[in-house]
Amino acid sequence: MISVTPKKLSEHRVKLDLNNLSPEQVALEIKNLDLYYGNKQALQNISMSIPKGQVTAFIGPSGCGKSTLLRCINRMNDLVDICKITGEINLNGENIYDRHTDVAALRRKVGMVFQRPNPFPKSIYENVVYGLRITGVNNRRVLDEAVEKALRSAALWNEVKDRLHESALGLSGGQQQRLVIARAIAIEPEVLLLDEPTSALDPISTLTIEELINDLKKQFTVVIVTHNMQQAARVSDQTAFMYMGDLIEYSDTNTLFTTPAKKKTEDYITGRYG
Amino acid sequence: MNNWFKSGSPWVWLSAGGVSISLISVLGLLGLIAWRGLSYFWPADIYQFEMTDEQGKNLTVIGEIYERESIPASQLVHLNLNIDESAETIERLLIKTGNRELVSLDFRWILVPQINNTSLPEELVVIERRTNGNFYGFIEEVILDGQVVEQNEMLQLVERVSDFQAEMEDLQKSDIGAINYQIERTRLEERKHILDDTLTPQLQQEFKDKVAGLKADYSVLEEQLMALREKISRDQVVVRAMDGQKVTINFEDVLQVTFNNKLNVFEKLKMFFSQIGAFVSEDPREANTEGGVFPAIFGTVLMVLLMTVIVSPLGVVAAIYLHEYAGNNALTKLLRIAVINLAGVPSIVYGVFGLGFFVYMVGGSLDDLFYAETLPSPTFGTPGVMWSALTLAILTLPVVIVSTEEGLSRIPSAMRHGSLALGATKAETLWRIILPIASPAIMTGIILAIARAAGEVAPLMLVGVVKMAPNLPLDGNFPFLHLDRKFMHLGFHIYDVGFQSPNVEAARPLVYATALLLVSIIVALNITAVSIRNRLREKYRMLDQ
Repeated sequence: MISVTPKKLSEHRVKLDLNNLSPEQVALEIKNLDLYYGNKQALQNISMSIPKGQVTAFIGPSGCGKSTLLRCINRMNDLVDICKITGEINLNGENIYDRHTDVAALRRKVGMVFQRPNPFPKSIYENVVYGLRITGVNNRRVLDEAVEKALRSAALWNEVKDRLHESALGLSGGQQQRLVIARAIAIEPEVLLLDEPTSALDPISTLTIEELINDLKKQFTVVIVTHNMQQAARVSDQTAFMYMGDLIEYSDTNTLFTTPAKKKTEDYITGRYG
Repeated sequence: MNNWFKSGSPWVWLSAGGVSISLISVLGLLGLIAWRGLSYFWPADIYQFEMTDEQGKNLTVIGEIYERESIPASQLVHLNLNIDESAETIERLLIKTGNRELVSLDFRWILVPQINNTSLPEELVVIERRTNGNFYGFIEEVILDGQVVEQNEMLQLVERVSDFQAEMEDLQKSDIGAINYQIERTRLEERKHILDDTLTPQLQQEFKDKVAGLKADYSVLEEQLMALREKISRDQVVVRAMDGQKVTINFEDVLQVTFNNKLNVFEKLKMFFSQIGAFVSEDPREANTEGGVFPAIFGTVLMVLLMTVIVSPLGVVAAIYLHEYAGNNALTKLLRIAVINLAGVPSIVYGVFGLGFFVYMVGGSLDDLFYAETLPSPTFGTPGVMWSALTLAILTLPVVIVSTEEGLSRIPSAMRHGSLALGATKAETLWRIILPIASPAIMTGIILAIARAAGEVAPLMLVGVVKMAPNLPLDGNFPFLHLDRKFMHLGFHIYDVGFQSPNVEAARPLVYATALLLVSIIVALNITAVSIRNRLREKYRMLDQ
């Protein structure tokens, strides 16, 4: 067994009973979710509750459906023509797959950060206020404040405060990824989805982002997809292990990594496959 | 040898050769046009040839050497020239002798063996005139206000006269032109009332008074004009031509008087540039074979700009629809193929379409609806600058669509996803992210469209270009931009001057000069667009591309 001894493993982790959360504790509730790409079923009957104000990690081997599941939460899968979804995802008690859901409004509540940093070819400032400008905020003072707040939350303020109006493309990869996080949190979403946010970054930038994730859960519910088990162990409170479109095991991180209930989980975290 | 083939060097040589050939052709073309075109403006030396012709008569020929060529001596045997029998070829010169009022052709060939003496007399003068072309000769007398004055006052006199000329032109074109325009407008307004059956006697009286007022203004201006003309007409110059005849030239006719043989290099250079200046800023004269090409430059640029304004939004919107909204099905593919094939339709076909659809159908209906008072003379139902711009816009549409679509498909999907994930709708994403990033590609399309449109002549001959347009499409009379007017175009001007003019020899350098100008204008338009594109590219450059 590889040693997974994350530094914050024992700190301030409240053990929740994931099967019996009270409604106030739940941020997202996924119910019987099936997803098909054409004829191929990519997710099979997923049901889980993601608690509020915590970090939940999805792990599993490549192609297991963890990113697909994440993209269901802000309906980014809508962009794939052949994708068909049944089941429910409830955010604040409302099914986001309801016919009357305003997808743009949903995405403002559920922000997302992608695998590769994708800042817009605009200034740092304009990148951060993009979401706000979309909603019609144009007051200079409001925008200035939002920029500072978001960049401070993303631990980027000190590095860029003197060059807010320079192109965002001049930043390093790690800075770009933090900028993209700042851009996502500037519109104050309830949930923040991180899709392998550090896979394109160097170890030092990865560390910065991981520390940032720990701070972010004070304000947001964070859902992170990672293929790096150590990272999941370091940053998350809950971990879900997925395999071939199935949710195999979902429990608090400590338990999942030390005493996994399922054989498949154990095989995966001990490195027998994946 | 086999190894040499395998190393790939033959292909490198082949492709390098291809590049060199293209480069040499382009530079050669530009060089030839530039040399032939620019030499037209260089003040040439005026030669005086003393010669004996076939009948043994002595004569003097004065003029510029235009061309030199060798012809086989056998062709000239019947002239029983007093020449070396053994010579195979004989050189002959094409001389521009001007003086069109004395000889009908202002060019003549002379045989070099017949020349006894060649000289460059300093007193030889070139008088550039409004009519009848250049006059070459010696000044005999200068008459100012009916009095003979010193010859060295000549140049001040020319200046004074050209001031008067400018004043007269101003009076004629802007003041009198404006009054004529207003009289015509008043007439049309009255006619409109008659057609609508709303003409009251009171209104009729108003119109009458207005026209009377305008006519009074007109007669005042006309008197001023006559006075000016009178002033000029009393100044004359008497010149002796090469055959000794004396000719009196009215200063009214004189544009420029130069002693080419007296000029040093700097003076010639100065004249060279002032000639170029005159060429690009003046109106053509003498059935376009002399004078400048300003209306043609203006027409070309205006038409291309109008075309750009029309084609850019149309092409971009069409490309956005094809790429972003149209489903990825057989119909879209068919549409795309149709668009690409549209680029292959011969341009004259677009001209025919423009004439049939825009001019007769759209223009005709516009006339019926809005310009009924001018009928039966059409306003928009006749070729004009707007229809030309529209026709060329359709001609260049595929170029803009294809390059915009290409630009759209090059944008990484991460950009779209990033924007959509922030709660932007598809339209907002397009407007705020995708279009700005695609703007360099859009500019590329526009550049190609401009390059294609500015050189296109064939369709324009059907939908708006004329040999000589009396007015520019832009002037000081409301509504200032007259889209219904016909216009002049450099490309058509080249064709007209080169192949339709009564005096092809005289016009040939003008053809080169106009071609050079057309190329320069297209290059200038392109450079502007390219620099805008480069700025956009710099702005939206992606790091990972």
